[in-house]
Amino acid sequence: MESIVRNDLHPAFSMRGITKMFGTVLANDSVDFEVLPGEIHALLGENGSGKSTLMNVLSGIYRPDDGQIEVYGELKEFRSPGDAIDSGIGMIHQHYKLAEAMTATENIVAGMKKPPKNSGKKDDVLRTDILRYASRSPAKTQQKIIEFSSRFGIEFDPSIPAGQLSVSQKQSVEIIKVLLRGASILILDEPTAVLTPQEAKKLFSVLRKMAAQGCAIVFISHKLNEIMALCDRVTVLRKGQSIETCTVSEIDAYDLVEKMVGRKINLSINKPDPDPERRVCLDVKGLTYSDSKSVPKLDNLSFTTYYGEILGVAGLAGGGQKELCESIAGIIRPQQGDILVDNERIAGLSPRDITQKGVAMCFIPEDRLGMGLVASMGIEENILLKEYALTKGPLIRMKDATTKAEQIINELEIKTPGLKHPVRMLSGGNIQKVILGREIHLNPKLMIAAYAVRGLDIHSSYTIYNLLNEQKQKNVSVLYIGEDLDVLIDLCDRIMVLCQGKNMGIVDASSTTKEEIGQMMSGTTLEELKRGVSYV
Amino acid sequence: MKRVMSMIVAVLMMAGIFAIAGCGDAKDAKKDEVLKVGVLYISPEDDGGYSQAHAEGIAKALATYGDKIEIKKLESVDDADVEATNAAIENLVNDGCKLIFTTSYGYMDPTVAAAAKYPEVYFSHCSGYKYSGNGYEGKNMDAYFGQIETARYLSGIVAGMMTETDQLGYVAAFPIPEVIRGINAYTLGARSVNPDVVVKVSWTNTWFDPAVEQASAEALLADGCDVMAQHQDSPSAIEAAESAGALAIGYDLTYTGAPNAYLTAPLWDWGTYYTYKIGQVLDGKWEVENYWGGMKEGVAKLDALSSLVSEEAKAAVEAARAEVTEKGNAFVFAGPIYDQNGELKVAEGESIPYGDQMGMNWFVDGVIGQIPS
Amino acid sequence: MFRITKKESFTKAEAIIYRLFGFSVGIIFSGIIIAALGYPVFKTFISLAEGSFGSSIAIRNTISFLIPLSVTALGLSIAFKMRYWNIGGEGQILMGATAAMGVSMVLPSGMPGPLMMLSMLVAGFIGGSIWALIPGFFRINMKTNETLFTLMMNYLAICFVQYLYFELWRDPAKKGFPGIQDIPFRARIPYVSGISLAILAPLIIVLVVYFLIKKTKLGYEIRVVGESEPTAHYAGMNVKKIMFVGVMLSGGIVGVAGAVKLMGSTGTLSSSLGGGAGFTAIVIAWLANLSAPMIVLVSFLIAALEQGAQFIQVRMGVPAAVADIVKGLILMSVLGSEFMLRYKILFGVHTASKKLEERASVDPTMQDSDPESEVVEDSI
Ligand SMILES: Nc1ncnc2c1ncn2[C@@H]1O[C@H](COP(=O)(O)OP(=O)(O)OP(=O)(O)O)[C@@H](O)[C@H]1O
Ligand SMILES: [Mg+2]
Repeated sequence: MESIVRNDLHPAFSMRGITKMFGTVLANDSVDFEVLPGEIHALLGENGSGKSTLMNVLSGIYRPDDGQIEVYGELKEFRSPGDAIDSGIGMIHQHYKLAEAMTATENIVAGMKKPPKNSGKKDDVLRTDILRYASRSPAKTQQKIIEFSSRFGIEFDPSIPAGQLSVSQKQSVEIIKVLLRGASILILDEPTAVLTPQEAKKLFSVLRKMAAQGCAIVFISHKLNEIMALCDRVTVLRKGQSIETCTVSEIDAYDLVEKMVGRKINLSINKPDPDPERRVCLDVKGLTYSDSKSVPKLDNLSFTTYYGEILGVAGLAGGGQKELCESIAGIIRPQQGDILVDNERIAGLSPRDITQKGVAMCFIPEDRLGMGLVASMGIEENILLKEYALTKGPLIRMKDATTKAEQIINELEIKTPGLKHPVRMLSGGNIQKVILGREIHLNPKLMIAAYAVRGLDIHSSYTIYNLLNEQKQKNVSVLYIGEDLDVLIDLCDRIMVLCQGKNMGIVDASSTTKEEIGQMMSGTTLEELKRGVSYV
Repeated sequence: MKRVMSMIVAVLMMAGIFAIAGCGDAKDAKKDEVLKVGVLYISPEDDGGYSQAHAEGIAKALATYGDKIEIKKLESVDDADVEATNAAIENLVNDGCKLIFTTSYGYMDPTVAAAAKYPEVYFSHCSGYKYSGNGYEGKNMDAYFGQIETARYLSGIVAGMMTETDQLGYVAAFPIPEVIRGINAYTLGARSVNPDVVVKVSWTNTWFDPAVEQASAEALLADGCDVMAQHQDSPSAIEAAESAGALAIGYDLTYTGAPNAYLTAPLWDWGTYYTYKIGQVLDGKWEVENYWGGMKEGVAKLDALSSLVSEEAKAAVEAARAEVTEKGNAFVFAGPIYDQNGELKVAEGESIPYGDQMGMNWFVDGVIGQIPS
Repeated sequence: MFRITKKESFTKAEAIIYRLFGFSVGIIFSGIIIAALGYPVFKTFISLAEGSFGSSIAIRNTISFLIPLSVTALGLSIAFKMRYWNIGGEGQILMGATAAMGVSMVLPSGMPGPLMMLSMLVAGFIGGSIWALIPGFFRINMKTNETLFTLMMNYLAICFVQYLYFELWRDPAKKGFPGIQDIPFRARIPYVSGISLAILAPLIIVLVVYFLIKKTKLGYEIRVVGESEPTAHYAGMNVKKIMFVGVMLSGGIVGVAGAVKLMGSTGTLSSSLGGGAGFTAIVIAWLANLSAPMIVLVSFLIAALEQGAQFIQVRMGVPAAVADIVKGLILMSVLGSEFMLRYKILFGVHTASKKLEERASVDPTMQDSDPESEVVEDSI
């Protein structure tokens, strides 16, 4: 294999004194950051600490107000993302916006530029080939793409439409796309936030291979274990400033958290005992739902939740979690089955009536803003969304919302310059806290929290776990839908495992193991496990 | 930051240029003795039709009085938009006009309102029926129009002589008395030399829309008409006749674009009136009147007959010209006149009185067409 | 090839500079044209300003232009907040005026003036809202394109009023001339020391609209619906009902603009009563960023420009066409600078499909699904 390390004397890129303001918000405050070729470098920081902004500056999306960028020792000024790509910088955003109807190949080839002539690099030859074949022979193009991908251990079928690829495959397409545009500096902004642990592992091996070939990789993640396992060095950002760069092998996770937050914090979940009375709150009976394309999503699903308890829901992505939440909240209508809260039917009621019956939902979709928030409004007005209708008279009550907003901002440490600052401009994590805070403040009987910590920094994640536990202690029944099995086990009292819309069984968190849950997630029912049958 | 700075500099520079340019303009002294005359036009001054006829008249007056007057004009003021009209008149007054001509019918009520508001300003409104003593109390508003029907009548004689199918086409804007009068006069003229003639009318409901006018004309031509006439602001009907190999009578202005169709046209010559009226004000002898000049005064005239017009037709026109010129509309609308139903409307020896002419809403015998009720 | 996205933010200083810059460019270019045609540049601009603000007549004229423009723009802004593109302002003005006219014709003539005016205003509201709700109904229930539909309704309204003008309501007292009778004198909005009390209409309606949008549940719902219908559903809102009420209010207020124009200015109905305000108001609403107080301010400036442009024809003898060019250039430059302020243009996209790719990588606002940046995405 050929090495594409260009010059080991220089870092792959170095950013010096980068400052970026958004209005009054100082997102990056004279940040220094550099990454060596062949290195996987983590960027760590709380929500809103300026990671995405810094990387958007590097990839030419934002222009810095101040500071310099050098790429392979050469001073650069990017006017557009195109300029950055031409300098070998590629960014993989958390959201892949591939053209769904086009095949992976077409997506990759679209917009590819001819490499400079006679550079003699092997990659450039390949790129020229792909471009040459692109208009004539899809089969050959695909073959070339497969050949190229396999160098990094990436596998996907380039002939199927992007819309039919799984999240992790889409990510792969994005990576190949960027690499084929000649990127040797790769930025991944929270690439693992929506991946399953298995998929994340695959990604890591891909990234290691790329690093071995000389790529410089910036890896943004809130998951410390990933950083510890994958990265060589880590740079910590706090409130827009670069605090420190350390070698991962010389530091432990707790120190990192301390550097990130700026003080010592407690990272443990205090699990209170569940309410022994075990009064039933939510009773779901035989729920069956197929979507508009009659793909079955929920399959005769039944379970109950109790007051003063957290019921976890585990399962692979797309296993029916979303549909379950939406059915309970009244957003979709299941074809069969019944939903009762306190023995009262809520199936068929409007979302607003269901809210009034004491059901609150915090669902963080993959695109965060998609549901439940009004992007251009401030926190205040987003708080109103769920409760404005509950007050009498034709006027909205801003005062209550303002008080609540202030309270939520304090409790959840939301970083915002003001109550009226559009939530669209908050960092990803802070946006989520707004939704969660709002739902908790509805004082519900049943609280549904789906993917509530997606994209949250550790500190915030623990804040949320504690908040959920507080709810539990207030005798609220909590339905927690999550991805991280460690957290599910630490946080929940019982865990229900979903697989393709079916209930595979409910296990006791204090006695189960990750392996057991993992097996159930991939289709083995609890009963079968007990009988010793396993399909995995 | 850099961008912001450069922008500031640019703005300052432009402001500088602007200031220097400004200094070059010496302010000229106010000439108080000059009479400012305001004119309101419904279309651009050079529309090749109605407004141009007025503008040429104003130009004649200006040529006569030279430095003693200054013309202030506003073009393309929609006469159906009362607010725009009001604002336009206000602007003329604001700039010091002491005599204001409002040249389109729709300006009538705003003119009345302005006259009441500014009693020191003289107003003169064209083609309406309100003036001092008639629908308005004040002493400062005139009405003026002309007996264009005399020229229409003569043009009807030309058409009546020239037609072979005995069917004349008439593209007409709106079913209002002014237009109806014209159609009747034209028909009476044509029938005075050719009793078999009929005049077919097509309404366009617009003063100016070449496409619609052309379509109307084409329909009439297809229906057997071989001479077109029109009461419109564009020459589309003449052009349609030219393309169809038929003949045509124009309106407002001489039309040179259709050498194989154009016969003649009833024309306005407003210069006579404007010179006369402005002279009154200059001499301090404003007199309220409802001016209604005709061929005698020279406000209305018939264009020179083109070479297409036959000798017989020329003779017929000349035969009538003297009497028409002398007696004006009283001759055109002299009895006996029958309406479309064959009822006698005007007895022998009588003539339609002025008031009835102004409100004319019926067609004479020989017109094929209807007046919407 | 280039593409357009909404900017993430801009500072106050930038806003002021862009706008000043745009205005100066407009002045400079129109100055060049004026000079090229041989008119004195400086004097022309002075009389432009003098014509808009320089005397009590000028100010009165400016205000009389301002009233219909601002009320119409305020009405339209409600629909625009919902991202319902009501282009039918002109028709709604006409139908509002028509309804008010109709009411004035049937009310007993002995009715007290204020009561009569009130009934006419209410009629104006109803007339405008019905006219707006016809396309609204189809949009809400059948997802037809409201832009085209509302636009068509303008022409329908014009034809309808023409029919009234020439036929159905033709006033026999006009001696055979076409036209509709004047409204009774007592139904005319009175003047107080030279200023028409019609000025109260925008002053009141701006407060109403501001209050409605900012303080009421309905206004809140309207804003949420405009931002994202799924979110509105999620919050349990009845989107159809909100749209319906919003369109009704929008058309109604525009209809009131028509009634006010009828009662305060024209005194009679014709198809020109709208005077293009329904279209100009769209520009105003956009320039004002749909903020109610800004709408009044922008309307004032546009009205002043309109009035000033007419005055330079009188004072300087500039032909109407040139005055229109001056007006147009200034307006275009201001619009242009506003556009540059709010959007950015990215050059250097090589192929159409590259657009897709860029869209994926250029998304400026986080992991976003920012609806605003989608709306204006366009490539030329
Ligand atoms: N387009 C924008 N307009 C205004 N403010 C912005 C914009 N983008 C980011 N910000 C602000 O800049 C700060 C840094 O945001 P950034 O997205 O870089 O944080 P982050 O470190 O990526 O956070 P997270 O982990 O939550 O994604 C935040 O306070 C955010 O509100
Ligand atoms: Mg981020």
